[in-house]
Amino acid sequence: MSPRRTGSRRRFAAANASGSQSENIRKHRPDYSLVLYMTLLLALGAVTVYAISPGITAAQGLNENFYSSKQLISIGLGIVAFIVASTMNLKTWRKLETPLLVAAIVVALAVRLFGDPVNGAYRWLEVGGMSFQAAELIKITLVVWLAGYLTRRKMEQKLNHPDTFKMLGIISGITLFVVAGLQSDLGSAAVMLGIIGFMSLIAGLSFKKIAVAGLVAIVLVGLFIAVSPYRRDRVSTFLNPTADCKDEGYQACQALITVGSGGMFGKGLGRSVQAYGYLPEAANDSIFAIVAEKYGFLGTSIMIGIFVALFRKIKIVAENAPNDYARLLVGGILAWLSIQMIINVGAMIGLLPLKGITLPFVSYGGTSIIFVMAAMGIVFHISKYTIAGQRESSREYGRQEKAKSTRIVRRRWGEA
Amino acid sequence: MNLTPNISSKKRIQLGYAFILIVGMLFIARLFYLQVIRHGYYQDQASASQLKRYEIPAERGVIYALDSTEAVPIVLNELRYQIVADPEIIPDKEETALKVADVLGVNKDEVLEKLNGQSRYEILAKKQTKEVKEEIEKLYAEGEIVGVFAEKTTQRVYPRGQLASQVLGFVNDEGEGNYGVEESLDDKLAGTAGRVKALTDQNGIPLLASGENVLEEPVDGEGIVLTIDIAMQEQLEALLKKGLNNAKSESGSALIIDPNNGQIKAMANYPTYNPAEFNKVEDPLVFNNANVSSPLEPGSIMKTLTTAAALDQGAVSVDQTYYDPSFYSIDDAVVRNIEEDGGAAVRSVEDIMRLSLNTGATWLLMQMGGDELNEQGREAWYDYMVNHYQLGKATNVEQGFEEPGYIPDPTDGFGLNIRYANTSFGQGMTATPLQMAAAVSSVVNGGTYYQPTLVAGTYDESGEYSGSDAKVVNDNVVSSEVSSTIVDFMQTVLKGNSVTRKYARDGYIVGGKTGTAEIARPEGGYYEDRFNGTYSGFVGGDRPEYVILVRVNDPKIPGYAGSQAAGPLFGSIANMLIDNFSVTSISGQ
Repeated sequence: MSPRRTGSRRRFAAANASGSQSENIRKHRPDYSLVLYMTLLLALGAVTVYAISPGITAAQGLNENFYSSKQLISIGLGIVAFIVASTMNLKTWRKLETPLLVAAIVVALAVRLFGDPVNGAYRWLEVGGMSFQAAELIKITLVVWLAGYLTRRKMEQKLNHPDTFKMLGIISGITLFVVAGLQSDLGSAAVMLGIIGFMSLIAGLSFKKIAVAGLVAIVLVGLFIAVSPYRRDRVSTFLNPTADCKDEGYQACQALITVGSGGMFGKGLGRSVQAYGYLPEAANDSIFAIVAEKYGFLGTSIMIGIFVALFRKIKIVAENAPNDYARLLVGGILAWLSIQMIINVGAMIGLLPLKGITLPFVSYGGTSIIFVMAAMGIVFHISKYTIAGQRESSREYGRQEKAKSTRIVRRRWGEA
Repeated sequence: MNLTPNISSKKRIQLGYAFILIVGMLFIARLFYLQVIRHGYYQDQASASQLKRYEIPAERGVIYALDSTEAVPIVLNELRYQIVADPEIIPDKEETALKVADVLGVNKDEVLEKLNGQSRYEILAKKQTKEVKEEIEKLYAEGEIVGVFAEKTTQRVYPRGQLASQVLGFVNDEGEGNYGVEESLDDKLAGTAGRVKALTDQNGIPLLASGENVLEEPVDGEGIVLTIDIAMQEQLEALLKKGLNNAKSESGSALIIDPNNGQIKAMANYPTYNPAEFNKVEDPLVFNNANVSSPLEPGSIMKTLTTAAALDQGAVSVDQTYYDPSFYSIDDAVVRNIEEDGGAAVRSVEDIMRLSLNTGATWLLMQMGGDELNEQGREAWYDYMVNHYQLGKATNVEQGFEEPGYIPDPTDGFGLNIRYANTSFGQGMTATPLQMAAAVSSVVNGGTYYQPTLVAGTYDESGEYSGSDAKVVNDNVVSSEVSSTIVDFMQTVLKGNSVTRKYARDGYIVGGKTGTAEIARPEGGYYEDRFNGTYSGFVGGDRPEYVILVRVNDPKIPGYAGSQAAGPLFGSIANMLIDNFSVTSISGQ
């Protein structure tokens, strides 16, 4: 969007609110702490990937910096995605609802039709030497589409109408069928159901009905696990991960060994051993364990601290979002990132079954990096329009005041 | 709706965040448990798999033999590769088996069976060439296969084929020397493996990251130069085979030793085997070097030693004569002679050897006891057998599975007199051909027993050669006078025998003694119609230069095994030495 376009803020507010929101939201300084925490996590991931890249490539006959250079390219693309998303008018997202939905369906089917199974799961699409993880597109589509849908239902005063639940049920069912069923990606399916559940929750759906839906979802997930030997193995491995460390439980056991061997202060950056062939998916799904091995309890607790701090900032943006649509978007993104982090870390420390999903910002993997950074761009954009006076923290309020005084400068940097 | 966000919505967001916060704290608590409280446990587990101790194999020493005076290799190492797999890290065993089997040229199911094994170290194929190794590594580099590796191994190769196979022995698949020099000198040949203790990646490749790594370089094995003369060995093996064939014997052995330093110049057995294909041998007995591992009752060749002992002790004198009754009754048994002994007569000491008189040997034993069979005589003879001739104990020649033979105790047991009478002509005791050859050597070389040896010298790991010195075990076996008497006697004996007399050569000294020994039945007693033929003799100029000992097992030709079967074999070897090897002729002739 052109930053020079006068009155765009006014138009944004009007268009976005669809008449239900005030036009008096004033654009202000965005919450740079979002960028700070995201950058810390990206840097931690990049440094870790850089340090273990020789270890992973050694067994694959690749250049030893293969992973680290690809990760840097991914972060570069992620920065572009972040900037684009942070400058994009929310109206544009509403226009993108349908194209995104179509793209997501096409990709979801293509993955099953043209993708090669990796560890029994259809998750990847090879496009010109780059692999694309379908689930990431589906997640952002889900957030964008649900935000629009729930906003419409709310405006229509039909939020708690049975049709809404029907629709959410259908969406959940399709998600389960496509992602958990066709792609055998139970981890991503869990994240998506979490997104649907949390967005429904903050949209204002009745607790009771969500609880019923949740139960139905649990039954469905249970069925999905029961019908696939691959998933049954994963679950039984989860229930007793050390029972079969040689075979099914290998990754779970190695993850615990990797985490545990890190100790209080870790082995140091260049001293990870588990990355050298012992721990599967060391750069991707298992990177948390490598972080734990390298930086110890000190590192992991700080890292979880950074995640929680980031989620707190996102929560504040959601709380103070200028309108329902923005709140739902930010809330969906919060659910997405936090559930994904919880499932990933929980698996690495033996509290949850291994699901094969990435740790946002930290894991190696272009698709994940680009899409979570795009999502952060949306949050960052909305942080410019949060409602002053609703701040919990006076410090942020002060920063807000300071931002006002430099508005002219900021305005030239870009808006909407 | 108004500008103020929906309070309920805000609360719900806070609820979600509270959940995140609780989970975050739970995670940190769990991490504290795993990383701090249980750190030791997990570190031990990590070390158990990461810290690997393994050996860097040392290269096995090369074995050389002499091409006249030059050492040339007869056992070398060849680089080979062993294809191994770690089934645990192979995701698609079907696919891997298919690809690997294709490279190895074997059935896919064979490979698959091993890949389904429980071990984390499955050997898929041994002794593979560099081409196979490179193909496997190419598949690995292309990501076609994982968990299959090529390991360096060496295998022994034998540029001279089967030559001296029993002397050499072989190296088994575990890299251990078996039989022969390979077994006896395994420690020297094997060298010292290097040691690595290191944090490694999953493939066992050491990571540079740790200061706790231990690395000891391997020390390669020593090169062994054998005393074996290649040409002499080749000819001895050919003559042995031919001689056994002529005598209609299925097995036998022969050896040539330098009596003046104990060096074994050639040592052959028949049948033999190909050490490169040791695993195809069906009867492991063929691995034995019968010259050192198969003691036998030596028979009359023992009379040379009995005569020398009696003379050296002074019990009899060279020109002494005695009345030989043609038989002696001892302890309910009778010592007889062969039919052609000429009956009871007055005999000389030389006649005892020339006519191979069992009664004569018994008479010599009597003289050692003061003209009767008694403990004094037995002990004196025992002393000669064990302490002078070194019988009844291993010679410590550099061979695996050497047998010590058996000498009866002179003071303990029943029927000792008849038993000892028997030993005086080589029955009722056993010795290996090498023991007999070394003992005869000590009698004909002036009276010094040299430890028989196969090692001329060694090359250490830096290629430095050091020769081995002759080792004197007893420098007073018999007096030099007795020694020269025996040399004379043996020449006379050779010339006095209708079969062997033709092997006397002008300008050289050639002497020897036949032996026809009864073969003990495994269940006790002796076979009536089966004998081993033996012959011990020498060739030389001014002094014996080579001592030869041959053994023909159970020949089927008529006549006494010693003269009819072993004699011609000895003769052919003596001629071969004189004709093809630098035996110095008698000075002045």
